[in-house]
Order: sequence, then structure tokens, then C-alpha cells
Amino acid sequence: MNVLEFKDELFQKGSEKGFKDMELYYEKSDQFVCAIDKGEVDQFTTAEVTGVSFRGVYADQMGYAYTEKLDESSIEFLIENALENASVLESEDVEEIYEGDSNYKDISFSSEALKSVTTEEKINFMKELDKEIYATDERVVATNFFTMQSVDVQKAMYNSKGLSLEDDQNYLVYMVIVIVEENDVTKSGVHIEVVSDWGKVNAKESAHKAVQEAVSYLNPLETDDKFYPVILRQDAARSLLDTFVTTFSAETAQQGMSKLKEKVGSKIAGDNINLVDDPFMKNRMGSRTFDAEGVATEKLNVVENGTLTTLLHNRKTAKKDGVKTTGHASKASYKGTVNVAPSNFYIEPGSQSYEELVQGMDEGIVVTNLQGLHSGVNAISGDFSLAANGYYVKGGEIQGPTNLMTIAGNFFELLNEVNEVGSDLEFGPSNVGAPSLLLKGLSVTFE
Amino acid sequence: MLNQALVQDVIHEALTTGGDFAEVFVEDTFKDSLLLQGGRIDKSLSGRDFGVGIRVYNGFHSAYTYTTDFSREGLLKTARHAAQAINGNTQVNVQPFQHEQAPVIHEINQLPQSVEKARKVNVMKNAADIAGNYHDSISQVRVNLLDEEQNVLIANSDGKFVEDKRVHSRMSIAAIASNEHDMETGFYGPGAVQGFEFFENLDLNHYAKEAARIAVTNLGADPCPSGKFPVIIDNEFGGVIFHEACGHGLEATSVAKGKSAFANKVGEQVAPDIVTYIDDGTIPNEWGSINVDDEGNKPQKNVLIENGILKGYLVDQLNGRIMDTEPTGSGRRESYRYAPTSRMTNTYIAPGESTPEEIIANTEHGIYARYMGGGSVNPATGDYNFAINEAYLVKNGKIDKPVRGATLIGNGPKTLQTVDMVGNNLGHGAGMCGSLSGSIPVNVGQPTLRVSEITVGGRKEDA
Repeated sequence: MNVLEFKDELFQKGSEKGFKDMELYYEKSDQFVCAIDKGEVDQFTTAEVTGVSFRGVYADQMGYAYTEKLDESSIEFLIENALENASVLESEDVEEIYEGDSNYKDISFSSEALKSVTTEEKINFMKELDKEIYATDERVVATNFFTMQSVDVQKAMYNSKGLSLEDDQNYLVYMVIVIVEENDVTKSGVHIEVVSDWGKVNAKESAHKAVQEAVSYLNPLETDDKFYPVILRQDAARSLLDTFVTTFSAETAQQGMSKLKEKVGSKIAGDNINLVDDPFMKNRMGSRTFDAEGVATEKLNVVENGTLTTLLHNRKTAKKDGVKTTGHASKASYKGTVNVAPSNFYIEPGSQSYEELVQGMDEGIVVTNLQGLHSGVNAISGDFSLAANGYYVKGGEIQGPTNLMTIAGNFFELLNEVNEVGSDLEFGPSNVGAPSLLLKGLSVTFE
Repeated sequence: MLNQALVQDVIHEALTTGGDFAEVFVEDTFKDSLLLQGGRIDKSLSGRDFGVGIRVYNGFHSAYTYTTDFSREGLLKTARHAAQAINGNTQVNVQPFQHEQAPVIHEINQLPQSVEKARKVNVMKNAADIAGNYHDSISQVRVNLLDEEQNVLIANSDGKFVEDKRVHSRMSIAAIASNEHDMETGFYGPGAVQGFEFFENLDLNHYAKEAARIAVTNLGADPCPSGKFPVIIDNEFGGVIFHEACGHGLEATSVAKGKSAFANKVGEQVAPDIVTYIDDGTIPNEWGSINVDDEGNKPQKNVLIENGILKGYLVDQLNGRIMDTEPTGSGRRESYRYAPTSRMTNTYIAPGESTPEEIIANTEHGIYARYMGGGSVNPATGDYNFAINEAYLVKNGKIDKPVRGATLIGNGPKTLQTVDMVGNNLGHGAGMCGSLSGSIPVNVGQPTLRVSEITVGGRKEDA
């Protein structure tokens, strides 16, 4: 059964059962994953998955159900369950099916060049990278999670108000954890690259970066526990911002779970902080021309010189706050319901490079990665206490790695205590980006 | 779910390039997920996950492909994709299927799909009322109810053709306590391999109140001091530390490649002799229990560490080949989207002789972790980090005031070596474990125990 036949029959039967407005969201993804271990292909996976999500208004509530099996039995399953789900719902603010905007940005986020890279080319590159990693430094003993993944996702949205939207996106990313050993001590470093141009992949350069990162943690220095000035390197800054990104959602605020509730128009950060959401960036994971409700997306300034100008909205949260939607309705996949999430959300870069930030530091700590982000933070209060790796800086130079440390602080206080914003904005394999940040200080405890 | 002749053809197709073993995994799963917040049912979602995973071995190599396309052509194409990654020269004599329904170890009374959602809603409202009425400072309660019915078929070229129905039910209760300055959360998430009877028999008075009590306790707590302390970890979900820090290192996935600190150490002392560590998928109706694993093998009680001596590992079929060991009924996967690998089921530290009171009375100055939160571990180094959801200072053998925002960091194998007291009150706690083959239900468990020193991270300078 193809998706259009499925939709027609579903809407027909749905309307007979009493659904007022209905939507079918369709997603088809083709995926390739390979993993390499010591020169051999250790994992090889290909996949082709299709799924659809149905939602419809019944007795003034929006009922949801999804299926991965496109057949007659699923049509019945979707209608019966969406109907029963709508019947138990008690939401005060009801979702609606949207008839669509008159204009959508004409931009494609799909790369034919990336799609045409063959399996053989991908595996050969990974094997070459594997060789280079071991050749770069004799202290390399192993790799872990050494994988390449390419994904092509086609999405479509059809509703009974006549809206019909389609989108096609693809990406290719590889990662490796390099494990190094010296004097019986094992350390590891992570390296991830999102490929935008296959012609520019360079195994030697990638291997060098990956190995450098791992080796940089060998032979840690003994350092005292205290309050240090801290540089959050861009990757650490990004992962921290990512953890607190739901705070900027109007949905979270309306649920009473965000400190930014009723802060629109107020200063929430230092003058040097600008937060932007841009749905139109090429080669970014969060790019989109329409959101999960079919609303045309726009670039948005969320924080301007420290002032919160808006929260992120979908149509339901916007209606409740009496504002216009910002086009941030989101659905993780056809398995989810519509909520609120950013497109590509980032801290605007400043002028100093990472190296300049380090040079300007008398004594302090560079934090290069954070662990335990799903458990060691209180997303509501902003408090965090996290395991971290990093370097000790003295006289403007990195002296060496520190032992495993914990850093503790508060995200909202931190936004007001950034002394310098770096110029090195990076996104990594995520839709949240940040440059390196020089912080006034954090309390640091070493293992 | 799929007829035997078609499955036979798919297996033959998967072996056309000389693979020596092929397996087909078919899944048809029905899931419900409901969310109550602010006193109202805010989300109710139903779904059907359906797909087929095909795996081919050639010696120590394997390829895996999966699809939602259940047409004959779609399945044969998917089998060919797997075969294309294999370059072998084995001629397999595919065995005729021996059709088998997995023996039911864990009885299910009321299948989730047979129960009206309105009845599920009633249980959720009860839980929310109990938590909400616990204290004036409770400002928000979120109750999640999840249930699923996973129907699977596992067939392979050795003639296996096993069908099984797996049923899981779980409720998680999160309470938020707030005052003018702060918001703190408390959480409890019990689950079982049971149907709707699990929710009907659940002691909501205990679980919902505990979630609220933790939130209220944290609201009044001072920031936790940082430094090195003896740490007493309470039973049930406290076992998460040893799950992360030791359990994963005992999985063949990391042992076969020599990447685990426990590799090649069977027969050696890896822990104090008061520590016995067990994984048991046969405990009736526990959250991590199984009737049959995802490779069609029976679960068993695996003693991993006995009185401090390493006895064995958790082994799946492919890693069993590499290690030349029999599989231990530990091949698990989240869904058809993952090739199975060695995973835990219900893993726990066996009870010792001390009473929890003795352990506290023997601690002069330390931290008591009553409820643990989540955490993670670096598999290469064994370094871990965990949040404590409810923590107290211990002074002069007595539990003193609560402290909040505490994190434990350390090294798994080292922490295991420094367990110095083990209690007699074994308890299990439900969790989701994420790893190579996806996110699966597991129990972690232990009695109250003490570790002589762990680094504690908090926002306050040393107390």
C-alpha cells in the first residue's frame, strides 16, 4: 500500500468515525552504518524504515497514533487508538490542524553529492583513517565506537485542510574514540566530524586531531581544588547549552518547569550574550523550511545583548501566551507528539579565538568535555554538578591535563558571568552550537 | 507473524554469499504512553512498531540489515543487502524449522492492549493525588504510564523458530517542590514484566509519597560538600553504580575485544570477598526478566563474581564464537533496529551480613546516598559519574542533614575493590540501559553497602 492510498483510505474512515480535521505525517529513512576495529569491518548495517503518524481532532481533543506497518489492519489501529486517546485527553489548550502558509523559503538541505558516495568509498575511507590513527602515535592501543553513519530522510505532511509539504535531507557523520596508553594509564579522546563535502575529507588530518585529543589527557598534573577561572571549550559549551535548551521553550515555561517563565523582555544574561535560532543553515542537523505543524520557519533572535526577546513557540503555546508562533513545533519522529524545539540554536560568536582566550588566562582551567549531562543537572533550577576533563593553564599556556574533575555551578548565573565569548562557533553532530566561553569562575574538585 | 516458507527463503537468500549462519528477527509491538501533568491527562499516544531484522555471520564477522517492508520482494532485497557485506565460502545446510513457543516463565494476567485507557488514567490520577497532597510545597506532579506488548519471532539457519510475547508495564512519578527561590524534583519509576495487574497492585501510597518526599527534602537541603568521603549507598536503584561501573565490563561485547578491565581475569580476585555479583533473567516478573533472549536462547542465573572471584561473563552468540564460550542467554536488543549483543537482565550484588543500621553506625563522617540518579561510564577507562537524587551527611554514626546536588565520580574497578561493608537488605530497582543494541529494560540491585572512599562533587567547599 503506498502512502497516498493509505492516507485517502485513512481520512475517509477517520471522517466516518467522527474525526473533524486530520493529518498524516510520513517519514522514510535509508540508513548505512559501518564500524571499524583494527583494520576490519566490525559492524555493517543498512536499513530502510517507513513510519506514519496520524493525528486528528475528535471531541475537541487531538488524538495521536503511529504505525510502521502500512496495511489495512493499521488503518483500523490508528483510528481506534487515536479516538480512544482523544477521549481520555483533558488538555485545556487544544492543538489544531493548520491550513498552511502562503510562502515557504525555497531552499534545499539535501546533497546529491553526498548521496552518491558509495559504500565502498565510505569503508575505504574508514580503513584509511584507521591506519592513520595507529600510525600517528605509538601510544594508540585501540579505538572505540569508530563508526560512520549516513542517513537520508524523506518527510511529508498531508492534512485534511489541503496542506501538502515535502522535505528531503541527508547527512554523513563519522566518529572515533581513540584510546591511548602510557605507563599503564589509559586515556581516551573523542573526535566527531560532520561531512558536508566528501571531496574534502582528509584521513590524515582527522587521525591527527583524534589522536591529539586522546594524547592530550596523558600524564595529568596534580592541581588544588578551588574556584578557578574556566574556559568552556566550544564542544563543552555546546553540550551544556544543549542540556538547558528546553528552558527556552514556551511549552516548558507554561508547564512551570522553566526559570525563564515571565522573563521575556528582561535581562537574563550579560550584554555580550546573543542567542539565535536559524532554520536555514546548510549542513546543520536542525535546518527546516516548515515546522512540525506546517508553519513556515524564520530566523529568530532569542536573546539580544543579554535580553530575552522571546521564547520558542508552536501554535498551541503561542495561542496561550497571546503571541504569534515562532515556527518551532517539533516532532522527534513519527513516534512522537508535537512539542517545541529549536531549529539551529546557537550563541553568536565573539572576536577572540580559543588560543587567544587561553593566552589571556593567568591561572585557570580549560574544560574540554562534560559527562553526566542527563543526570547531573537540575534543568529547572539550572544547578549542575558534572564530571569533566580538561587542562590546567598557567601564564597563558596549557601546562597539561588535569585529573578527572567535577565542576559545579548554575547555568543561569553562568550566562551573566561570561567574561569573553570566543570566535570558534561549532555545532558538531547537533542542532545546538556554541563558541568557547571564558567564565569568571567555577568551583572545581579533582579526583 | 511471517510464514515459515517465506522465512526459509529469506534465510537462504541471506546465505548466498557464503555466510555460515543467518537469523531473522520479526517484531510486532504495540505501545501505549500516557502523561498526566497539572492534574490533567496531557498526552496519550499509541503506536505499532513493526519490522524485520536479518543477520548473517561469516566466522567472526557479521552484517545486519532491517526493514519495515514486509513484502516478499522487500524482505529478499533486505537479505541480499546483508549478504552483500559477506564474502565467505561456507555451504550451510539450512535446518528445517522446529516451531516452538517460548515457555512462559513470567505469567501475564491482563494484556495491556485489552485494557481500556480510562482505567489506566484512573491509576495515574491516584498517584498524582497522593504525591500532590503530600506537602504544600509540591507545585507540580508528572505521572507517566507506559506499557507494551512485543510479539517476536526468532528464526535461524540452525532450525530455530521461536515465538514469544514480552509484556512490560512501568509508571514513573516525578514531583516538583518549590519555594520562592528554588525548584527541586523527586522521582520514582517502578516497572515489571507484567500486564495491567502491575498498576492495579502497585503500592502507590509508597511510590508516589516517596517521589514527593524526595522533592520536599531536597528543597530544604544545603548544597553538598565536595571532597573524598566514605559513601553509603542504599539498596534497590543504588545498584546503578555497579551496573555501569562493573556490569558493562562483564559483557562479552567489551570482554571479547579485550577492552574491559575484567578481560582474561576469570579465577582472579577482582573484588573484596564480601562481594558476589549476579545476573539473573529468570526472577519471576522482574523488569529485566525474559522468557527467551533475542537470539532464542533461554535465560539463566549467571554468577559473575563469587566472593570476590571473577567467575564468568555475559555472553551472546557472536562473541561466544570469538571467546569460544557458550552463550549465557544474554543476547538482547531494543527492537528489530538493532543486532543483539550481550546485555544485562536483572543484575545485583548478593546480600551480605551487616544490617543497614550497623553500616551507618560504623561511619564517622561520610555521605549517605539514599536514592541514586542516573550516570554514565567511559568504557575504555572505567571512569564513571553519577548523580545522587537524595543524599545526607553522616556524622558520628548517625544520619545528619540532607544535602543536594551531589555527584559521585570515580573508577569502576577501583570502587569495586573498596566496598567494605555489604548489607542484608537486597532490593531491585527498574531502569533503562542504553548500549550498542539500544535501550532495554534492566533491573539494578544491591543491599545497602559502603565504599570506603569516593570523590563527591558538590557546590559547597569541604565541610
